[in-house]
Amino acid sequence: MTQKVIPIVTQPLDEVMVSLYEAQKKIYPRSVSGFFSKWRWGMIWLTQIVFYGLPWLEWGQRQAVLFDLASRRFYLFGLVLYPQDLIYLTGILVISALSLFLFTAVAGRLWCGFSCPQTVYTEIFLWIERKIEGDRAARMRLDSLPLTSEKALKKGLKHLVWIALALWTGLTLVGYFTPIRELLLSFEQASLGPWESFWVFFYGFATYGNAGFMREQVCKYMCPYARFQSAMFDHDTLIVTYDNARGEPRGGRARAADPKSIGLGACVDCTLCVQVCPTGIDIRDGLQYECIGCGACADVCDTVMDKMGYMRGLVKFSTQNAISQKWTQHQIIKRVLRPRVLVYTTILLVLCIGLALSLEMRSPFMVDVIRDRGVMSRVVDGDKLENLYRMQIMNTTEKLQHYRISASGLNGLEIESDGDESNGLVTIGAAQSQWVTIHLQIPQESAEPGSHPIQFVVQALDSPDHVSERAIFLVPR
Amino acid sequence: MRNMRLMWIAWPAFLMAGVMEILVFSMLDPSDLTWFGQPLAVSRQGIYTLAFFMFWGITMASSALTTLLSISPFEVNRCPLPARERPDGCPKQESSCC
Ligand code: SF4
Ligand code: SF4
Repeated sequence: MTQKVIPIVTQPLDEVMVSLYEAQKKIYPRSVSGFFSKWRWGMIWLTQIVFYGLPWLEWGQRQAVLFDLASRRFYLFGLVLYPQDLIYLTGILVISALSLFLFTAVAGRLWCGFSCPQTVYTEIFLWIERKIEGDRAARMRLDSLPLTSEKALKKGLKHLVWIALALWTGLTLVGYFTPIRELLLSFEQASLGPWESFWVFFYGFATYGNAGFMREQVCKYMCPYARFQSAMFDHDTLIVTYDNARGEPRGGRARAADPKSIGLGACVDCTLCVQVCPTGIDIRDGLQYECIGCGACADVCDTVMDKMGYMRGLVKFSTQNAISQKWTQHQIIKRVLRPRVLVYTTILLVLCIGLALSLEMRSPFMVDVIRDRGVMSRVVDGDKLENLYRMQIMNTTEKLQHYRISASGLNGLEIESDGDESNGLVTIGAAQSQWVTIHLQIPQESAEPGSHPIQFVVQALDSPDHVSERAIFLVPR
Repeated sequence: MRNMRLMWIAWPAFLMAGVMEILVFSMLDPSDLTWFGQPLAVSRQGIYTLAFFMFWGITMASSALTTLLSISPFEVNRCPLPARERPDGCPKQESSCC
């Protein structure tokens, strides 16, 4: 038997590392306009109006969306959530993740190119840069010039605007966790609390760094989603493609020339698609993991094709199947409803309905009961056996509420609580929670020694709702 | 490369510290915490912040160990000087490998 020996070539480690992580070249994306660029700006406006605007929205007497960390209450329009409601947050996160899977299966990195905060802030920061320093060529020239007062002025102005925007972003983010009006007031009076200031600057700095400097490198090296997205792709996923068959052989030519007669394809090799690319790749080399699917190259190539009088769509959103089998638009759309997409959609719908229902049926108050850790059971008034419990009642409405606590499960069970009116009546303010100590008593000798299951029922007096909680009553030997 | 590794250490750790923060403080009210029997003299926001950085520190240590273990021991212990530049008398002057 002969064995094939695979020669192992050792490579000096340094070289491998260097080629894997080339020194980064600064990318100067050129500005672009067109169909996808319009959509991207539309999404930027939409997401940012929501992000910057939401904390300013009022709901009754309070901020409509506020994750009040200081008082541990989360206000979401009409909802008041407690930290105990983590399950809803989990539900929302699972739904978001599934939606991302769904979008990715259908349209590739739609999220990346159009609504990821990294893309959105990079685009906004780039816009500022362009307004101050000029477009690609002007910026490249400026960077190659020695430092003059004009260059310093431009650069300084750019960073100033960037920092102002970044700070505003930080302030807005913190405004989701601390009431934003008070926050802004104390910011203006320079009396911001230490923790709030810390997070304003922390997030501001992250925005400034990520959108101003790191840019495409965040997508390439930091984003976990960018790494595993290909697992969600299939041959029917929309990706940005270059029509090799039509474009090659590429080459410059006069506008009047007939490409066929001089043996050229449709690509005029103007390299505009490379110049506009925010991640600095050449889409003509095929799909690369760096491509965030922003469509900038498709937009710019369409303008070139228009100028040349060629058909549009040399670079376009299409699917692998569509390219190899020359499908029409209609055929591509028909393939959207494939099993993978249907499965994702079904799970997503079930989860959304489930979440909506459970929020709808959520009781307007929550109850937690624990046995008092200090006292097992004791005899009081000579002839009564008493167990102590601590009960937390959480009012999730925004009105004052009255509750009656009762207990059942043992003969002669009597309740004594330290609520405001004793004998089981408790009053709790809007969105407040309160710990109540409950003394539960039975006549001595009325129950066997051991532990007996009992049930607490808390009845709201201002609404028909009630909540039951199980507990244990201990009778000593 | 060094920056790369620092980022690999700090960034995933940051994300996981965030997850820890949510999990821990959804179940625990910082104002219930005590320090050797004394209630803490820090506001809730303060404890959230400090705890976040504590979590981040710990998760970063974990990422750092992962990064360290993913490098071969030869690379870790390699002499940083190229073979030719090693001082006279260095026993590794001849070998170009480590
Ligand atoms: S923009 Fe279009 S024509 Fe110009 S180089 Fe790119 S693919 Fe070719
Ligand atoms: S290749 Fe095209 S779609 Fe992909 S990132 Fe670059 S410009 Fe955007």
